[in-house]
Amino acid sequence: MTQPLLTIRNVRKNFGSVKAIDGIDLDIHENEFFALLGASGSGKTTLLRMLAGFELPDDGEVILDGKDVSQVPPNHRPVNLMFQSYALFPNMSVARNIAYGLEMEKLPKAEIRSRVDEILEVIQLSHLANRKPDQLSGGQRQRVALARALVKRPRLLLLDEPLGALDKKLRGEMQLELKRIQNEFGITFIIVTHDQEEALVMADRVAILKDGRLLQSGTPQEIYEHPESRFAADFIGVMNFFPVTQESGHLRAQDGSTITANTPLESAARGVAAVRPERLHIGGNDRDNSISGTVSAIAYHGLDLQVHLKTPASPDPVLIRLTADVAERAPIGVGDSLTVHWAAKDTRVFAV
Amino acid sequence: MHWRIAPQIQARRMIDRKPLYLMTPALAWLTAFMVAPCLMILALAFFQRGIYGGIDYTFTLENIALVFDPLYANIFLKSAFIAGLSATIAVVIGYAAAFAITAAPAKRQAMLLFFAVLPFWSNYLVRTYAWIVMLNREGLIAGAAQWLGYDGELPKMLYTETAVVIGLVYNYLPFVILACYAPLSRLNPEIAEASRDLGGNGWTTFRRVILPMTVPGIATGFVFVFVLSIGNFVTPALLGGGQFQMIGNLVYAQFLTANDWPFGAALSMFLIAIMMGLLTLQTYASERASGARREE
Ligand SMILES: Nc1ncnc2c1ncn2[C@@H]1O[C@H](COP(=O)(O)OP(=O)(O)OP(=O)(O)O)[C@@H](O)[C@H]1O
Ligand SMILES: [Mg+2]
Repeated sequence: MTQPLLTIRNVRKNFGSVKAIDGIDLDIHENEFFALLGASGSGKTTLLRMLAGFELPDDGEVILDGKDVSQVPPNHRPVNLMFQSYALFPNMSVARNIAYGLEMEKLPKAEIRSRVDEILEVIQLSHLANRKPDQLSGGQRQRVALARALVKRPRLLLLDEPLGALDKKLRGEMQLELKRIQNEFGITFIIVTHDQEEALVMADRVAILKDGRLLQSGTPQEIYEHPESRFAADFIGVMNFFPVTQESGHLRAQDGSTITANTPLESAARGVAAVRPERLHIGGNDRDNSISGTVSAIAYHGLDLQVHLKTPASPDPVLIRLTADVAERAPIGVGDSLTVHWAAKDTRVFAV
Repeated sequence: MHWRIAPQIQARRMIDRKPLYLMTPALAWLTAFMVAPCLMILALAFFQRGIYGGIDYTFTLENIALVFDPLYANIFLKSAFIAGLSATIAVVIGYAAAFAITAAPAKRQAMLLFFAVLPFWSNYLVRTYAWIVMLNREGLIAGAAQWLGYDGELPKMLYTETAVVIGLVYNYLPFVILACYAPLSRLNPEIAEASRDLGGNGWTTFRRVILPMTVPGIATGFVFVFVLSIGNFVTPALLGGGQFQMIGNLVYAQFLTANDWPFGAALSMFLIAIMMGLLTLQTYASERASGARREE
């Protein structure tokens, strides 16, 4: 592969005694749509602000296009940040807001005008060019903030929870819109979100942050299918966990049944076995593992059916996802006894 | 169409009525002890002065006309100039101070503000006399200059226009700091960062983003200092040494020495008109700006 657009090397940042960023290494490539995922306080904003130049790393390097930019001030970086609060200039119209960054580059007036007009077309707000930010809806402000950063054609566009303030339906639309725009402009995007679904929909690659550390990075599929930690497994998608102990190479669940997995529990006697809901089947007792229990709840989700199974093998109800036709062939009601089966290859094991 | 709008209007009235009731005591107080006496004094402007002082209740416009006499019109202009100069200087210093305070760590801001406003709680006369102690020929400044080895002739400081301006600026500075601090501290820091992010340097960010967003505070501070300065008579009397008169001194003299209440009333009327005009403008300006600040 060619040289990465951005290399983050062993970067650290402390605020007093808080280790906001605790040694992160990451490569991001040209044209990538990259998502930073993590719980509140995990350091996502701090990392973005460091890439934009608002926080200087205490240690480590930020290398952009082969140059160390760790100490370069924000106004001299070919990087733009779309703020969590949008931070539009309230005293300027939509068009002036967007033109601001180009005026700072001292571009000719005619070019500024044509680029502003062009981007207004892209975000479909040409008719609101002369409005002030406080006369716009939340979704419209969000698009102005995006346009204002995008119009500078940065090497790297950073977006801090760009869709956080929007309602669910609008979020869905904007996710696809962002993806389309990223494609069209060919700009590398790093987006911060704490919504894992959003990350899976949009990103080419995802990194999970926890307490200022990088837990795992990879394509959404890699992380979904091969989570390296219980946290990652839990964070991306839905996962069923069974507490287990390891006795002479066998995993034993808390109800005494045996669980088989292709990988053993490494260097620990206690752990959890994990399996995705869609890997659990109600037929096929030739599979390696099975668990029995009573159905405690059923939720219809249109295409599929989510069944909650109360079982002695797990403190939490086990979630099963059945397709509509499977459910039709074998109708299930609350209170029924049910046995589910799954394969050893679908079992992940983590130490706790 | 009318019947469809009516319920809404009624609903709004019901919400409005409560605060109005609550305002009655204050309004009654103001009307009885402030508005009514003022109107009575102002009415005097249209009567003649009695031969031995006092008032001769015959209608006349002479007092009003006299205000436009070049002698008095000049005093008006002079006062406006002094007030404008003081307000400008106070705003520049006060804005800078407020800016510095907002740049301090959040914990320390309250303390810094407290110290900035502290002089406000001491007596106006005491503060003004303190400047006499500083500025007179044997005063602190002269002493300090001498101590530093300067033995030439110092320019006259006390009893000059400069002394009056210094006194006014000093006295009203705390208010300007408070007026500018309010919008500065409310600014979302990400807005200034957005300007930096888009390529603006510190100065451009200040000039194009921070300054326009804090104009309401500047306007409030300026109008406050101007209005209080143009009618002030204590500072010009003490620090100007009776060398020159401002409108406040002139009004004071008409009522208390010249015993010409009608002319004093006419002068006051113009003074009040100027103040009201400015305050209205300022209210209008800050109302317009508050629309722009709604985005938080
Ligand atoms: N300026 C600061 N001063 C002190 N501590 C800070 C500062 N900024 C961030 N922190 C701390 O650093 C840690 C990481 O914060 P950060 O804002 O990066 O989290 P985040 O992942 O963006 O969270 P959220 O999802 O809530 O936005 C937190 O513990 C936070 O309290
Ligand atoms: Mg954040």
